[in-house]
Amino acid sequence: MGKHNLQLTRRLLLAFLAVWLVFTLFPLYFMLVTSLKPVDEINRMVPTFWPETMQVGNYAGIFADPGSLQSIVDSLIVSSANTVLSLFLGTLAGYALARYLRGPVGENLAFFILSQRMFPPVAILIPMFFLFDATPWGADSHISLIILYLVFNMPLATWLMMVFFRDTPRELEEAAYLDGYRPFRAFFKVTLPLVFPGMISVAMLCWIFAWNEYLFANILTGTSVKTFPVHIPTFTQGSQTLWNLVMAFSLVAMLPPVILFIVLRRYMVRGLSLGVVKG
Amino acid sequence: MTTTEPTQAPAQRVINGRASRIDPKDYPDWFKAKRRGGSLIVHPLVPAVMVGLPILVIVAIVIYPTIWMFYHAFHDTNMMSLFSGDWAAVGFDNFGLVLSSDRFLSSIERLGIYLLFGACLQVLLGTALALLLYEGIRNNLARTIILILLVLPMMLPPSIVGVLWKFLLQANNGAINHLLINIGVMEATARIEWLDSGLSLWSLVLADTWQWTALPLLIVYSGRVSLPPAVYEAARVDGASSWRVLSRITLPMLREIIAIAFIIRFMDAYKFVDKVYVMTSGGPAESSELPVFVAFQKGIREFQIGEAAAYAILIFLFAAILVTLFLQYLKRVLRAQQTQ
Amino acid sequence: MANLELIDICKGFAEPVIDRLSLTVEKGEFFVVVGPSGIGKTTLLRCVAGLESLDAGRVVIDGKDLTRVPPYQRKVAMTFESYALYPHLTVFDNIASPLKARGLPKAEIAQRVGEVARLLRIDQLLGRRPHEVSGGQKQRTALGRTLVAKPDVFLLDEPISHLDAKIRHELRRQFHELEELRQVATIYVTHDYAEALSLGDRVGVMGPGGLQQIGPPREVFDRPGTLFVARHLGQPSINAFDGVLEENGGGLQVRSETGFALPVAQAHAGRLRDRNEREITVGIRPQFIDVVDAGVAADGRFLFDARVDLHEALGANGVLIAKADGQSLSVITSTSAAFEPDEPVRLAVDPNRFHYFSADLGHNVLL
Repeated sequence: MGKHNLQLTRRLLLAFLAVWLVFTLFPLYFMLVTSLKPVDEINRMVPTFWPETMQVGNYAGIFADPGSLQSIVDSLIVSSANTVLSLFLGTLAGYALARYLRGPVGENLAFFILSQRMFPPVAILIPMFFLFDATPWGADSHISLIILYLVFNMPLATWLMMVFFRDTPRELEEAAYLDGYRPFRAFFKVTLPLVFPGMISVAMLCWIFAWNEYLFANILTGTSVKTFPVHIPTFTQGSQTLWNLVMAFSLVAMLPPVILFIVLRRYMVRGLSLGVVKG
Repeated sequence: MTTTEPTQAPAQRVINGRASRIDPKDYPDWFKAKRRGGSLIVHPLVPAVMVGLPILVIVAIVIYPTIWMFYHAFHDTNMMSLFSGDWAAVGFDNFGLVLSSDRFLSSIERLGIYLLFGACLQVLLGTALALLLYEGIRNNLARTIILILLVLPMMLPPSIVGVLWKFLLQANNGAINHLLINIGVMEATARIEWLDSGLSLWSLVLADTWQWTALPLLIVYSGRVSLPPAVYEAARVDGASSWRVLSRITLPMLREIIAIAFIIRFMDAYKFVDKVYVMTSGGPAESSELPVFVAFQKGIREFQIGEAAAYAILIFLFAAILVTLFLQYLKRVLRAQQTQ
Repeated sequence: MANLELIDICKGFAEPVIDRLSLTVEKGEFFVVVGPSGIGKTTLLRCVAGLESLDAGRVVIDGKDLTRVPPYQRKVAMTFESYALYPHLTVFDNIASPLKARGLPKAEIAQRVGEVARLLRIDQLLGRRPHEVSGGQKQRTALGRTLVAKPDVFLLDEPISHLDAKIRHELRRQFHELEELRQVATIYVTHDYAEALSLGDRVGVMGPGGLQQIGPPREVFDRPGTLFVARHLGQPSINAFDGVLEENGGGLQVRSETGFALPVAQAHAGRLRDRNEREITVGIRPQFIDVVDAGVAADGRFLFDARVDLHEALGANGVLIAKADGQSLSVITSTSAAFEPDEPVRLAVDPNRFHYFSADLGHNVLL
């Protein structure tokens, strides 16, 4: 054991990090490359790692396709509406749990709500379809996905908002009451500004989940409503998958979550760890 | 709400001028009779409604499907009978069928492999990478950029990741095989059949690890960032070696955070079905089926509703055990944090 | 006119905290509640403010029963031990908060905040956020927020105990001088007896269940109603010896189990004989025990020998811990005194200064 040995270990470890970075980035790189190739180049027996024919038009192609645009709109409608609802209900419940129901009853309620997120949704996939099919708007609609995703997102939002509200001292609100603010106004004056970053992270997590969800969207909807994860595998020509369009669209659809993450990553980790990591 | 008048006159109050607390045998009558006092600030119904609303929404959505599942788990429902409406009660037959089927049992075995080499490995890798990134890269900007790059796969829909890896792992002209040839690991004529029955489960694990190692990485990294630097300064003054610092300070202090990352990953992995569906459809020949996917397949593709329901309930029960254990742990961690 | 009346108020959580407490604080009075941490002083303030609902009893302000009135409709201002400043608002907006709640015009708010800020000497800081000002300035901001509201009742919860000594002294003086506080009923809570005795028009000593004694500072200190009160006021704490009252050649004496005996003053003997309590606790404040030279005359005092355990020099004075016949006791000494451990000392004490507390409930037998 010596200084030399330590240097070697350090280098080996850093090399491991570098290898992992390459492993992470290579598929993304190949996505990008594929999205720029024409179809016949993709279907060659030996794939090229740099496009021989650069076909930037693939990107224009997906935006020229009305189905693609519609799928983005559908995804936006579903994930945004679901996020707003989840956040609204989650904030209400999280606040009540954090402030008024601190005893064992409140704790059990909180854990019950959180547990709803953890059960495998596949268990109730079939009856869920019949349930929504029986509603006036039918299964194949925005509303059905918006409501269905509440099962996953609202528990998360409730739980996280509860954690965030617990971090804001109750005394601040009490000081506001003594200043003469009614509970509703005190909430908006004092508490809301303090949990706002937390709310953003919750909104982002809910939004990304709804944006990326595939299974339920595939089973429940698919004809009149088609979110983009359902739409992407339909880029085919005959029996051939149009990989360039698939990859181009996937990369475009990846942009919103990536941008959200880059801007708000500090808040996001708190949410991802169910509030355990203070970040 | 009315305020009850004290039943003992104040003059009779026993002040113990020696004690620093009231002896329980001297507790006054009003206290023994007292119910939990209402708040002056909000009506007690307000919080009840605030919490009740989401619970009502969840119950409204989940209750019917749950009852439906439990009902059909004890009936011989299939696609035909579901629409004609004639099905017969069969007791526990469906469960017997499921528990004795090779398909189910081998899917459990695969789940074991998947959880061990998928979820567990991802947490170990993620932890190692997070600490490496934090300790090994000094430059702040470089560190942040690498972190963002490493987290990118998480931002893709899991189904798209399945599509992507199916594309990359094609045997003949897939990028992975040809990459291996180009860097000289493999002969030019060799082809690894990634999606064939021998490897399909491992390919799923590979794709999943590619996407989700980032989650424990991100959680542990943030946990490491939030550790107090004072502890490390003390260790440096004491001249502790890096290895000792890691095993005596960093890992113990991150223990709970790593556990939470592990549990979150574990629960998600258990539910995992999107990628199987897209990448291999459980195949070829059921070689990459996981229990949740079998349930899905039974219900959606083969329309053996009764059997699928029995699957679902077994999966649900197992999940209930996991969820309960997890929540107990989470409760403990959060309590410990609050008393700090 | 009485401004704040608490009538038989009761409040408990897991155990009773306030048991039938009655108190009237007059307009302009500065009432200090002193007691050990965790005894329920803050709970008392929260009950008055309406942040906690009472289990029984009434809160009356200016003749109006406010027991069921929520805090935002009571004209009660309170500073919190944690200051509870709004971290996202500037000092100005923090102080202006009660005025904004009432929807006063901007110009009036600016004027009144300005006045209060000048009074408290924080007018230079109005643009800053709470985390950008010092502890003392935070406290002034919190105080400003309550002063600006012109409430009927002021509640101050440990307002200066977390500040360093110099600022504490300055703020303490400010409490004496603030004219605003002299026009309404104020309840000031502290765990520091010196603060209580120096600030209060009246002092209430809080023990388990409520106020054990209420009175002017001097009286509460000189004539403690219970052993609890006597113990809590004074630093170092009063010396207390459990003993047995017995006749000793025409006089009375108290003898402890270890054999340490103290004579009872003639003035107290009659009263103690009347009460006829055999077991009793004697209390002697450390400042009334003197260290004397070996040959000095008794001069009405009781002289006894002890051995030094420990001596701490504290600047203004010193504290000597000595042992006499197996009883440990503390003595306040002069600055210049110096003692070695195990050194024999001769102590003198005037028996007229003794307090006697009943052995069962700790009430002052002489009162």
